[in-house]
Amino acid sequence: MAVKHTKKLFMKALNKKFATEQKVLASKGVIEENLQGQKTGYLRLGPEQSARKREFMEYAKKLEGKRGMTGYNPYVHCGGIPLGQRQLVPYKLSSTEYVVEGDDLHFVNNPAMQQMWDDIRRTIIVGLDMAHEVLQKRLGKEVTPETINNYLEILNHAMPGAAVVQEHMVETHPGLVDDCNVRIFTGDDALADEIDEQYVIDLNKLFPADQAEQIKAAIGKTTWQAIHVPTIVVRSCDGGTTSRWSAMQLCMTFIDAYNMCAGEAAVADLAYAAKHAAVLQMSEMLPARRARGPNNPGGLSFGFMADMVQTSRVRPQDPAYVSLNVVAAGSMLYDQIWLGSYMSGGVGFTQYATAAYTNDVLDDFSYYGVDFANDKYGGFNKAPKTIDVAKELATEVTLYGIEQYEAYPTLLEDHFGGSQRAAVLAAASGITTAIATGNSQCALAGWYLSMLVHKEAWGRLGFFGYDLQDQCGPTNVFSYQSDEGNPLELRGANYPNYAMNVGHQGEYAGIVSAVHAGRMDAFACNPLIKATFANPGLVFDWTNIRDCFGKGGAREFRAAGDRSLVMPAV
Amino acid sequence: MAYTPQYYPGSASVGINRRKHMSGNLEKLRDIAEADVVAIMGHRAPGADYSSTHPPLKEMGEPDCPIRQIVAPTPGAAAGDRVRYSQWTDSMYFAPSIPYFRSYWGAINCKGCDPGTLSGRQIIEARERDIEAYTKKQYDSEMTDVALCSMRGCTVHGHSLRLEENGMQFDMLARTELGKDGNVYGIKDQVGIPLDKKINLGKPMSEAEAKKRTTIFRFDGVPMGGKIGARKYDEAVEALHHMWELRSKWGYRPE
Repeated sequence: MAVKHTKKLFMKALNKKFATEQKVLASKGVIEENLQGQKTGYLRLGPEQSARKREFMEYAKKLEGKRGMTGYNPYVHCGGIPLGQRQLVPYKLSSTEYVVEGDDLHFVNNPAMQQMWDDIRRTIIVGLDMAHEVLQKRLGKEVTPETINNYLEILNHAMPGAAVVQEHMVETHPGLVDDCNVRIFTGDDALADEIDEQYVIDLNKLFPADQAEQIKAAIGKTTWQAIHVPTIVVRSCDGGTTSRWSAMQLCMTFIDAYNMCAGEAAVADLAYAAKHAAVLQMSEMLPARRARGPNNPGGLSFGFMADMVQTSRVRPQDPAYVSLNVVAAGSMLYDQIWLGSYMSGGVGFTQYATAAYTNDVLDDFSYYGVDFANDKYGGFNKAPKTIDVAKELATEVTLYGIEQYEAYPTLLEDHFGGSQRAAVLAAASGITTAIATGNSQCALAGWYLSMLVHKEAWGRLGFFGYDLQDQCGPTNVFSYQSDEGNPLELRGANYPNYAMNVGHQGEYAGIVSAVHAGRMDAFACNPLIKATFANPGLVFDWTNIRDCFGKGGAREFRAAGDRSLVMPAV
Repeated sequence: MAYTPQYYPGSASVGINRRKHMSGNLEKLRDIAEADVVAIMGHRAPGADYSSTHPPLKEMGEPDCPIRQIVAPTPGAAAGDRVRYSQWTDSMYFAPSIPYFRSYWGAINCKGCDPGTLSGRQIIEARERDIEAYTKKQYDSEMTDVALCSMRGCTVHGHSLRLEENGMQFDMLARTELGKDGNVYGIKDQVGIPLDKKINLGKPMSEAEAKKRTTIFRFDGVPMGGKIGARKYDEAVEALHHMWELRSKWGYRPE
């Protein structure tokens, strides 16, 4: 029976969130029924009830004289009635012990979130083989493990912004660019063994054996450079800079390492390889109406997003956990940063996005579904890849989730917007179907059905855009014609129907990840991305997204790209 | 034989009520004065002239065209009124209406209106005198319970929140209040500007009455899918599955 699968994982978070309200009500002699009461006494304590809002107000007071003009003042809100007419509840990062204020999850206040995005846009993958061919065949140079080691030593000097070859050059302060590094990876174990270990992303050590074999088989004997330019560079410029910055330093390094002529035509071959022919950008550039260069979030496919997250190599036995971490990464990047800032602006998007990675709600709904499906079909990736399975699982999970919201009014209150609930219910349905069937089109069908069941149950869904994206969405599953569909792995933030709605894109990335985690695949879309983000030199912790967001919120995370080294002390 | 639209499936009260809302054949429960409805809407002072965005159509010398011959303008359009709105927030704790059904009601029954459906609010825009009439219909009918539903132009937050201890839907701006006489009073307009006088909106429905009239499926009312471990789909789910499957397999061309 399905009842046995209910774990109510969200109860701990709800008890923490509503503890203040319960305590205050109890002190006033008003006894809260429990988290299941449908009525409560609203305390209307205003912004002062929140430690973070108090901090904001105190800081704003300090700034008054300095700024010479008005600034933060929550009492200008709606005719003088400020936020906090209900309890301003904190948020528990799902599956972690971190409990932070909602404000701490806005990316402006959370350095870990910023670093996650910085780590993507400062990354470029460049193949080494094409350059080696130029060196060997055109220039007659010898390329050996020794020359590669020498090259990598020079490159890790040059890539952060230091000079080689030329005299009297300016350079960047090593303390400002210490996060920059270049490592290589290859499917050729013999070559990897010959490279100084400080320069290697060791697939055999970082991945479980079966995953390492899958990745090495996919990469073959080719060799790739995982390049992470300094965070401070992309924060001053943008993601489109990354390939240019890296290409310049790569070329200079080749000239130095292989004693080339600085102006000979062969350098153009190396530059072409470094800028175009051997390059994998993290995301595609966008068309003019949303114009952004490559390595900006709008062009990032769900498959790549799924592969960037590294939970799959540290906890492969738990595909739901893997996909929930991808949901967190994707929700933050696509909703909070891409739609919420590049495309829109303001603060509302954070509220939507956090629902997917806080308070163990999506966790509870997803594990319910996965357990239900496992029970019925005997394990991950065992269910038939059919529309009937999508129908059964998505309906069950959505009805389960709806029932939890109804039975626990504080849970409903926590996800007080329909877009939050729609995202979570549909994501749980999609993740469940994904893990059960190992097929992203079935999973996507489950997502869309969940949206319809939800709308029909409560007569409400999300905001306007859900009419198009979700109610019309079933028409673009089970089709690979480019104008009607696309494998979910290859869809992304700029897929036509997905280009406007919060609460979707991160979840789609999670569903992609769930499909392949359920199949025990080493990667979802691209082995080069999976290997690159295994680089231990990255600043953000790509193995545990939600924990790292919690660290950022709790002010325990130190990001790169800090300028304080070259500024007066505060 | 006259055609009777089959608006919605289901024999449980929720399906029946949904059909009622769509058909516009609703019971009138109260009679709020037009001037009071206008005051709560907050677009013009009761009794003031309507602002217009163009002269009356009759004075505009419109070109002759078959569509104009077929479609009679609404009173607001004929007069050249500006377009204004009314927006409702309906509690998920058994409010009689829900956003999509307010929209369906509007789209089917209210000429010249533009409904917009969100999760926490539902807006209808129309020419000013038309929207005033449509709003009064909503206020007076069984679509509305004055404790569980309220007009909120902004700061709509409340549909999913627990009710106040007195059974009122939470409203950050406290636009309505429950009086000691058991009546609900409007004290601020849609956007939270205090009214010159309190407006008596009448008594709220009892919980049993709200449950009887509601259009929302809930596990503690009429469940749509039974309960965990004991699934029993309402006819609405069966119809939905059918539609979803056809749409998934054949897009919009189910040949």
